Amino acid sequence: MRIAVTGTPGTGKTTATELLESRLADSGTEGDDEQTPDLEVIHLNQVLEDEALYTEFDADRESKIADLEALSDWLEGRDDVVIESHLAHHFDADRVVVLRCHPETLEERLRERGETDAKAAENAESEALDVILSEAVEEHGLESVYEIDTTDRDPEAVADELAAVATGEREPSAGEVDFMEYLT
Amino acid sequence: MSQDDDKWGIAHVHASFNNTVMTVTDLTGAETIAKSSGGTAVKQNRDEASPYAAMQMAESIAEEVKAAGITGLHVRVRGPGGNLQKSPGPGAQATIRALARSGIEIGRIEDVTPIPHDGSRAPKGKGGY
Ligand SMILES: Nc1ncnc2c1ncn2[C@@H]1O[C@H](COP(=O)(O)OP(=O)(O)O)[C@@H](O)[C@H]1O
Ligand SMILES: [Mg+2]
Repeated sequence: MRIAVTGTPGTGKTTATELLESRLADSGTEGDDEQTPDLEVIHLNQVLEDEALYTEFDADRESKIADLEALSDWLEGRDDVVIESHLAHHFDADRVVVLRCHPETLEERLRERGETDAKAAENAESEALDVILSEAVEEHGLESVYEIDTTDRDPEAVADELAAVATGEREPSAGEVDFMEYLT
Repeated sequence: MSQDDDKWGIAHVHASFNNTVMTVTDLTGAETIAKSSGGTAVKQNRDEASPYAAMQMAESIAEEVKAAGITGLHVRVRGPGGNLQKSPGPGAQATIRALARSGIEIGRIEDVTPIPHDGSRAPKGKGGY
């Protein structure tokens, strides 16, 4: 089972999957949790940095342009994994989780994390326009996408939702939030 | 294309997963001439023929715009609803076609969809538009 956890930067992917990771580690040693599949969490941004899997640099955005093919090759054969990144939906996956967050809250989270105003604003606009959700549905279909609104959920609650997707307790969903009013 | 500057405006089309909103401004972007919002924004019901709703919105905007003496619009599209073939939203394309059918001349069409990014981003054409 391969699960992609994607979403606009700031939606809380790294935070929630780190929680999931420690839960999996705990249950793994005891082997008593039959329901949670044995999954390894891959923080793909880290892989991109460590393995230098990018092609160019976008100076305006201070962002490395990901080498999706090289990342896909790196992921080849890694099947019982949770792949965490805003790029995760560009790769093969059985289930694709899209974390969502109201753009105003997202902007605050990004500023608090120390991002520039420009970065916070463009990501908030991306979130308001459902850019990543649309790509995820486009690439994987409505039947594989699981949308989770993190605006009013703490990281533990988001991790609960991720676990529910992994065990199959949660149904697919998409387009349940509408953040467009942020733009107009 | 003869473009008398004061007869042209800019249509800003925001096309998300299930919603399309349009605002028309003057060429500087400073003055709002017409705006679809609330009831007139197209809220997509997944089973409905969305181009019809987009057309209604574009037609009412076109009337306001023409009443303001504008004959042509440059179009600035933001959002995946304008790009992705299978995107379920009514999308920018249906809106632009409807504007043209309402007798508005369509000038430059520009895609200014934002790109999600942290320390990395997708390449253009693969999410990265
Ligand atoms: N569920 C949440 N509620 C409130 N704040 C959160 C939540 N998840 C993450 N955050 C905070 O928001 C910021 C972005 O979270 P992070 O996990 O780095 O997001 P991502 O990996 O999606 O870019 C961090 O400062 C984090 O502490
Ligand atoms: Mg992260």
